[in-house]
Amino acid sequence: MSSLLIERPLPHGGRLVERVVRDKEVAKKMIKGCPSYDIKPTLHYETGVPVRNVYREIMSICYGFFSPVEGSMTQAEVERILKERRLLNEWIFPFPLVFDISKEDYKKLGVTKGDRLVLNLKGKPFAILDIEEIWEIDNLEEFAHRVFGTPEDNPEVVKHKFDKKHPGWVIYRSHQPVVLAGKYTIINEPKFRPPFDRFWFPPRKCRAKFDELGWRTAIAHQTRNVPHVGHEFLMKNAAYTGDIEPCHGILVNAIIGVKRRGDYPDETIVEAQEAVSTAGYIKPERRLVSLCLWDMRYGNPLESLLHAIIRQNMGCTHHMFGRDHAAVGEYYDMWATQILWTKGIPSFGFDKAPTDVPYGVHIRPQNMREFAYCPVCKEMAYSETCGHKREGISGSLLRGMVAEGVQPPSVILRPEVYKVVVKWWKHFGYPFCNEKYVRDKERDLEVDLEDL
Amino acid sequence: MGHYILVLLDENRLERIKGSDVENNIKAMFGGELKCIEVNVPEELSQKILKTFDTARIDARGAITDLPVAFMREFFNQIAEKKSIGPEVIEATLAKADQIKELAAKESEYLPPPDIQI
Repeated sequence: MSSLLIERPLPHGGRLVERVVRDKEVAKKMIKGCPSYDIKPTLHYETGVPVRNVYREIMSICYGFFSPVEGSMTQAEVERILKERRLLNEWIFPFPLVFDISKEDYKKLGVTKGDRLVLNLKGKPFAILDIEEIWEIDNLEEFAHRVFGTPEDNPEVVKHKFDKKHPGWVIYRSHQPVVLAGKYTIINEPKFRPPFDRFWFPPRKCRAKFDELGWRTAIAHQTRNVPHVGHEFLMKNAAYTGDIEPCHGILVNAIIGVKRRGDYPDETIVEAQEAVSTAGYIKPERRLVSLCLWDMRYGNPLESLLHAIIRQNMGCTHHMFGRDHAAVGEYYDMWATQILWTKGIPSFGFDKAPTDVPYGVHIRPQNMREFAYCPVCKEMAYSETCGHKREGISGSLLRGMVAEGVQPPSVILRPEVYKVVVKWWKHFGYPFCNEKYVRDKERDLEVDLEDL
Repeated sequence: MGHYILVLLDENRLERIKGSDVENNIKAMFGGELKCIEVNVPEELSQKILKTFDTARIDARGAITDLPVAFMREFFNQIAEKKSIGPEVIEATLAKADQIKELAAKESEYLPPPDIQI
């Protein structure tokens, strides 16, 4: 076999974390006599609107998406991440992940180091947290700034100081001050509601699915959107990257979490992505749609690092990154993600690309520019290849069309994708997330739990 | 600098203006796949629109954007009814401003879905 063939990388950290107890009798014994706590959504520090639910982090940690992270982080681990973006075991990781509660709740709970706390979700036992340390975040605003960087400390990529207009900054600013650190274990597996259930491919299952499909190489595509034809061409063309042949598969991984008004509903996103395959634009044998639970931090280069870790854990060999990857506003340089993967960002702890530093990631970045429609070529054309004036597909143009009930032409939005938009529009009475959707989603979440 | 409102046209809308002079003003985007009309808006009416609808703004191209969907629907209805893109369609739309505002308030919670076969 050719020495140029690329093999599927090991999970980040060397092994997949899987902290799920599936035997109910064992689970019952594990929680007998333990204090319990009802998981609460993190509410916006000013408006009180839900901005995060830690259950999504517990799910992603326990099913291995965030391997090698195993739980809520200790103070030393968070400090190391904020300084060097590394865990205490040396492996690189971009964001602090903590189980935070209010001082009032902490007093009421009366737990100490060494205690086992049962975490309830929707009134049912869900997971346990074995408390190793209890610590406090002194200054939440400073904490939030340190998470994302500042123009002074990270001048290579941070252009503007973060503030309350940035949803990720708001998440960290809205944390509660007391952190219960320790490993999580899920003791009552939640069941995803349709349509999410058929897109649930946690890392072990995803790797097995790749085997079943015969994929040695797979390129990941990050999404939080309904795919237009520009996205489709990005996927198709990025997938030509591989080794001696194009990637065998494209893993579309939708980040599912708290929504903002104006986003497309998550149900629409996953089914619209699926429609691209079922309608044959990219055949299902070469494309798999999946999801990962995470309340997006919109951390552009930092978020891209998390995405790389998630998708390496899922078994991907490559990851495509575009302009303004997982970005909102103009806080970061629009090419910050590509800078990270090209030469590193020293102020974030990477004097080389994250693939080239010790204990780094092994997934291969594919930095892509843009696709837009060329009326001369009469096709979606790549910005670095086509020499004509092109017409970009802007999200606002598409959203305006959808809102007016004008069906976008198939050259910019596939009719099968539009039908999915309309299907969920009829269901929710609105094509985008409105206040009711956002409120109901954070009440109902994506899962249900059975009695233990 | 003159302002304009971009009116998008799908098959249904094209049918409603078929055979009228409005057809002469149809422009093509995306290689002819998307049809639209740019309706010029006199300055006085531009100011009136901006004053009446607080979400409306003028973008870098001089287009009046971010108008309520109810406005855009009614605007096209007036074009189709009057078979014109003259100031009278803007005036007729503005004459229904109260009704449009009422619908706009509701449309942040409900928008009627298109009647297509799923």
